[in-house]
Amino acid sequence: MLPGTIGLVMATEAIKLLLGVGRPLVGRLLMYDAMRMEFRELKVNRDQHCPICGENPTITELISDYVAYCEIGHAEELATAAD
Amino acid sequence: MKSSRQIIEEARKEIPEVNAEEVRAAKDKREDFVLLDVRDDDERRGGYIPDSVHVTRGMLELEIEDFVSDRDKKIIIYCGSGVRSLLAAKSLKEMGYTDTVSMAGGYRDWSAAGYPTAKDKPMTPDQIERYSRHFMLPEIGESGQVQLLDSKVLLVGAGGLGSPAGLYLAAAGVGTLGVIDSDVVELNNLQRQVLHRTETIGQPKVESAAETMNALNPDVEIIPYQMRLDESNIINIFNEYDLIVDGCDNFATRYLVNDAAVLTRKTIVHGSIFQFEGQATVLKPFDGPCYRCMYPTPPPPGMVPG
Repeated sequence: MLPGTIGLVMATEAIKLLLGVGRPLVGRLLMYDAMRMEFRELKVNRDQHCPICGENPTITELISDYVAYCEIGHAEELATAAD
Repeated sequence: MKSSRQIIEEARKEIPEVNAEEVRAAKDKREDFVLLDVRDDDERRGGYIPDSVHVTRGMLELEIEDFVSDRDKKIIIYCGSGVRSLLAAKSLKEMGYTDTVSMAGGYRDWSAAGYPTAKDKPMTPDQIERYSRHFMLPEIGESGQVQLLDSKVLLVGAGGLGSPAGLYLAAAGVGTLGVIDSDVVELNNLQRQVLHRTETIGQPKVESAAETMNALNPDVEIIPYQMRLDESNIINIFNEYDLIVDGCDNFATRYLVNDAAVLTRKTIVHGSIFQFEGQATVLKPFDGPCYRCMYPTPPPPGMVPG
C-alpha cells in the first residue's frame, strides 16, 4: 500500500516537470508516515560543499565501482568533510 | 433585440484592432503581451501562431484567469477571421481586463501572409478520445498532451515504487517509458508491485511491466533494459531521456543515479520507502539540492535503504 502512495506522488511530480506546471518538490522533502497518516515537509538546501554539485566538486566523473563504494565505511571521509 | 451585425459593430467601436503585420512586428520586438487563440480545438489542430495561448471562445470567461491573472496585461486575441476575437475581447473587457486587442483578419490573414505557424503532431481519433479528460484541464490541454506523448521518462526499477509510477505515467500517455530492472517477478513481489501479475511470475520484470503498461495504453513505447544500471551503461542511457524516476532499492544504485544525473544534468524524481514511512523529492541539478547535498556519503554497510 505504502509504495503506491509514494509512487503516485512521484508520477505526479514527473508529469508536472514534463509540462513545466505547478511547483515541484525541488528543495522540499515530503515525508509520509502511514501509521499516523501524516505528511510532513522538510526544506532541504543545496550544500556549497557538496562533493559533486558544490562550488569545488571532488567528484567530476563517475566513481569506478559504486557497489564497493557503498560497501566500505565512510567514517574517515565524513570526519574529513566535517573539518 | 440586436442582430449579430449590430453586436459586431458595437464591439468594433469599443475594441482596438491590429492587423497580422503589426502583431508580427510586436512579436519580433518581443513586446510584453499574451497572444490568445480563441478558436475551437479542431481549428487549432490545423495550425496556430507560435507561442499563443489557447482558450476556446466557449470556455473563455471560465478559464482565462488560469492563464492571465494580471488584469492589466496586454492581450492580443485572434480567431479565424477576426470576428470572434472582437467579441472575446469585449467580454474580457467586461471582466475587467484593461488592455484587450483583437487581431483583424485572424489566423486566415496571418497564414496568408506566410508568417510562421506551428502545428502539433496530429493525434488519432482514439488518442483524442483517450486523453479528452486531460484536455479539459487548462494546465494540460491538447498541447500539453502532445508534449507528454513526446516525452521520454526512465523508470529506474520496476518494483514497489516503479510499478505505480509506471502504471500512471503510461496511462497519462507519456510517449516513451524506459524501464530498467534486472530482476524476475516473484510471488512475494505481487502484494505491492502492481505492474506484475500472477501469470508473469518467473518472467523478467521489464517484460512483465511492458506487457501491463502496453495493455493499459498501446500508445506508449516501452524500452526494456533487463540489466543492472552500472558505471558503464548509465550515462548513455540517461542521455536518451528527459527525466529520471528513481525507485531503486539500494544505496549503490542511488548514489550512481545521483552522480550520473548531476553529470548529465537530468532531473530525478526521487522516492524511497521503509516499512510504513516514505519520502519523495525532486532533485534538480544546480537548481535544488542533489542527493549528496542531503546525504554526502553512503551510510555504514548493512543499513537497509530508507
